[in-house]
Amino acid sequence: MIDTRLVKKILNILLKSGGDFSEIFIQKKTSNSLNIEDGKIENVSSGFELGCGLRLISEDSTFYAYVDSLQSDKLINAAKILSAAVNCSTMLKALDLTKKIYPQQLIIKKYPSIYPQTIKSEYLVEVDRNARDFDNKIIQVSAGISDIESEEFIANSEGLLTENSNVKVFFSVNVIAEKKGEIRTGYKSIGKTCGYEIFDNKKPYDAALEAAGIAVKMLDAINAPAGSLPVVIGPGFGGVIFHEACGHGLEADAIVKDASVYKDKIGKKIANIKINAIDDPTIAGHWGSYVVDGEGFPSSKTLLIENGVLKSYITDLKSSKKLGLSQTGNGRRQSYRDIPLPRMSNTYIEKGSESPDDIIRSVKKGIFAKEFAGGQVDPATGDFVFGISEGYIIENGKISEPVKGATLIGNGPEILEKIVSVADNLDFAPGFCGKAGQSIANEVGQPTILVERMTVGGTAV
Amino acid sequence: MREKKSKILDYCDKAAGMLAFKNAGQFEVYGISSTHNEAGIFNENIENLSFSDTKGLGIRIFKNGRIGYSYTSNLEDSEIKECIERAADNSEVSTEDIYNYLPEESEFFYPKEIVDRKCLFSEKFNDFSIEQKIEIAKSLEKKAKKIDKRVSAVADLIYDDSISETAIVNSAGFRDSYKSTSAFLYISVISRDDSDTSTGDYFDCARDMSSFDIDDIAYNAVTRSTSLLGAKKIKSQKMDLLLDSFVSAQFLQVLAGILTADAVQKGRSLFRGRIESRIFNKNINIIDDGTLSYGLSSRPFDSEGVPKGKTVVFEDGVLKTYLYNSYTARKDKRPSTGNAARASYKSPPHTGISNFYLLNGITSFSDMIKKTNRGLYVTDIIGVHSGINPISGQISVGAKGLLIEKGGISCPVKEITIATDILSFCSSITDIGNDLKFMPAGGYTGSPSVLVKNITVSGS
Repeated sequence: MIDTRLVKKILNILLKSGGDFSEIFIQKKTSNSLNIEDGKIENVSSGFELGCGLRLISEDSTFYAYVDSLQSDKLINAAKILSAAVNCSTMLKALDLTKKIYPQQLIIKKYPSIYPQTIKSEYLVEVDRNARDFDNKIIQVSAGISDIESEEFIANSEGLLTENSNVKVFFSVNVIAEKKGEIRTGYKSIGKTCGYEIFDNKKPYDAALEAAGIAVKMLDAINAPAGSLPVVIGPGFGGVIFHEACGHGLEADAIVKDASVYKDKIGKKIANIKINAIDDPTIAGHWGSYVVDGEGFPSSKTLLIENGVLKSYITDLKSSKKLGLSQTGNGRRQSYRDIPLPRMSNTYIEKGSESPDDIIRSVKKGIFAKEFAGGQVDPATGDFVFGISEGYIIENGKISEPVKGATLIGNGPEILEKIVSVADNLDFAPGFCGKAGQSIANEVGQPTILVERMTVGGTAV
Repeated sequence: MREKKSKILDYCDKAAGMLAFKNAGQFEVYGISSTHNEAGIFNENIENLSFSDTKGLGIRIFKNGRIGYSYTSNLEDSEIKECIERAADNSEVSTEDIYNYLPEESEFFYPKEIVDRKCLFSEKFNDFSIEQKIEIAKSLEKKAKKIDKRVSAVADLIYDDSISETAIVNSAGFRDSYKSTSAFLYISVISRDDSDTSTGDYFDCARDMSSFDIDDIAYNAVTRSTSLLGAKKIKSQKMDLLLDSFVSAQFLQVLAGILTADAVQKGRSLFRGRIESRIFNKNINIIDDGTLSYGLSSRPFDSEGVPKGKTVVFEDGVLKTYLYNSYTARKDKRPSTGNAARASYKSPPHTGISNFYLLNGITSFSDMIKKTNRGLYVTDIIGVHSGINPISGQISVGAKGLLIEKGGISCPVKEITIATDILSFCSSITDIGNDLKFMPAGGYTGSPSVLVKNITVSGS
C-alpha cells in the first residue's frame, strides 16, 4: 500500500524532537449499506475511504494526526506538525522494519465488494414480506444490511510491520406491531466477521420472523414491576450485563486514570465463584473478532475472571506500559481517524453446569429478561443500566405474562457477587459499543444466569 | 507542495462537472472540509493532542425516481469518478418513488437568508493558539481539583474545536457554501469520601472559546459530583420529579426524533394524527429554530439546500406541525421546513432537528423546589438509548439526584429508575423554569429545568 522507505522516514520525522514511540496506520475501507422501510428500498449507499493516522507517544502524552490521503508530502507535513508539538529529551530512532507480522488472512467466500447490491436488496424484500405475513398486527418493518471491507497497514518505531484485513457484514431488523392503539417493537440482528456467506446458515428472514414474534408477543405485555427482584437473564444478548457491570471497568485506560471500581483488584475475588469471564477476539467469524488489533498486536484470548477472581485487565500498548502489564491485543480504533483505546472484543461469561430450565424453576417470583436494547455504565462508580426489550414475569418457577420494556439498574461489583446460577447454554449476540466518540463492533455473550436481586425499573409499584 | 489550496465548493463544482458530462439525471454534490483540533488533559499533562484537516464528498443521483448515494474521503479525480459510478449503480437498486427529486424553490417554506452568516463563524476563533487552548484546559483541571478536597481525579477533560466549510451544488441550480466554527470544553470529575465515589460533569460550547467561564464549568462539574456523595437507593414510590435542564433536554431529543415527518409517515411516531391536539399543558412552547443567532445548529440552508427557518412545533401545549425535508413535505403536500439533516458527508440526508428547544417559563428553579413537598431533583439520567423506546413510547431510565422534602433539598439518591410513557410524561409537566440551557447532541437541544408530577421511581 505504501513504500516502506517512506514509512521509515515518517516514523523518524515523528521522533525528530523526541518521543518514545511513533506509529503509522494506513487504512483503505469500502463500505456499502441499504435499508428497507415502508416496503421501499432506500438509502442505497457506498463509500470509499483511504487515509493514514500518525501517532507519536512521548511519556504520558499522545500526539495524533490523520490525513485523508497517502500523498507523501501530506504525510510528511502532518508528521512535522506532530513532532513540533513535542518537546522531549528522549531521542530515539525508528528501528528497521524487521518485525514483519503477516497474520493469517481471513478466509472470505463472498466478498462484499463484489457481492451485488441487488441481491442484498432481495434479502430485504424477503425480510419485509415474511415479517408482514407473520401477523396482520404488524404495521411496519424496517431492516438494513451494511458491510465493510478494510485493509490495514501498520508500522511503528519498534520495528513492527504488519498488514491486516477485516471484512464484516451486519443485518438488523425492527418490526412494529399495533393492537388497539398500543404499539410494540421487536428487534433482531445478525453480524459476523466474514463475507456474504454470513447468510448461508441463518437467513435474514429467520431473524425477521423472530423480531415479528417478539413485537406481537409484547402487545399483551403488562406493566413491569418496580422494585428489587430476582432476575433470570437469558443467553446471548444477556451478556450486555457483564459488558456494562464489569467489562468497561476492566479496560485499562480507566485503571490508569483511577476511574474504575476494579482498580487494584487483580488477584482478588470480585465476583461469585461460579463466574469465569473471557475476552476473545480469536473466535473465528465472530462479530468482535480480529487477527491483529488496531496497533498491529496479535489478538489473543484473555481470561478476565476465573472462579470469581480477577485475572487480567483489557490493555493496549499505552496502558500496558503505564501499568507494567502485558499487552492483551485490545488496542482498537474505529478508523485511521482515531486513537486506539483498550476495548473489549467478544466478551462473555463462560458456560456453567446448570440447566436453564432449572434456573427458572428455582425462582418463585421474579423476571425473565430475554432480549435487550443495550446499556450504559459509569466505570468510576460501577453504576450501570441495561434495558429489557423482551421480558416476562416468573411465577412459581414458570414463565408467565410478558412485561413492557424496563431498565435494570445496579452496581457492578455488587451485582457480580449476586450472580448465583450459571447455565450451560452459552450464546452470543453482536452489537456496537461507543466510547470516547468511537463506535466499534462488539460481541457480548453468556449462558442463562440468575441475579439474586436487582432493581427493575417498571411502573407497577 | 505545489498543490493549489482548493476550497470545498471547487471540489463540488468539479464533481458536478463530471456528473453533468455523464448525463446521469438529477444530481447533488454535498461537501465538507474541516480542520479539527482536540486536546485531552490528565494530571496537568497533555494526555492526547490531535490535529486533522479533512475533506469529503457525498453524491446523490436521482434517476427515474430512484436515488443512489456514494461518498469518498479522497478527492482525486479518479476517486470522484468512481464515486459517481457507485452512486449511479446504487440508484438502480433503490425503489422508484414519484416524490424523489431535488428541492425546488417553490417548495421552500422560509425565505432565503434569514440567518446572519456572521453568527456561524467567529472571527475570534483564530485568536487562540493551540498552546493557549491547552493552557485554558489545564487551568480548568487545576481549578476543579482545588474547589473541593473530595475531588480525587478528573477522569476526562477534553477541549475540541473545528472550523469547517459546507457546500452544496446541485443540478437544479443550487450552488452555495457557508463557513462555521465551534469550540467545546468538557470536564468529568470523580469525588470520593470514606465510603462512596461519585461522578459529575459539565461543559460549555460556543462558536469560539472566548466566552467560556472556566470557574463556572469547574464549579458545576464539582458540585454535580460532590453533592451526590453518600447517595442511597430509596423505596419504590410515585413522586414529583424536578428535572435538571440537561436531563430535560435529553427527553426533548427523544421527542425530536418522533416529531420528524419521516417518523410520522412511516408509523414510527406516537404523534401521528395528532396535529392540533393538546399534548402538553398550556405553558409549553417548543421551537425548532435553524436561524437562532447563538444556536450551534444554525445555518443558512439545510442538508439539501432548503432555507432554514423558525418552526413552532408546540404552541401553548398544542402540536402545530412536524419537521419536514423536501421528500416528506411532498408526501404531505406542503412546503419543506428545511429540516433535512446529515451527520456527515457519509450519509444521505434524513430528517432532523436544528436548534430545538423548550422556551423558558416563569418559575425560578428555587421556587420549583419550594413548591415541591416530596420529590426528586434529577441531576443525571443514564441509559436513554436502551431505556426509552420512542416507537412504543415506553420510558424507563436510570437516575440519580437529590431528594426534595417539604420544599428543601435533603439527601442524595442513586441507583433508581424513573419510568412512565412518553405521552404521560408530556402531560405531567406542570412548571417550567427560567434557566434555559443548550447541549450539543443530535442537533442543538435546549431546555429549562421542568417539574413533572407523579412519576414512578423504582428502588429497593
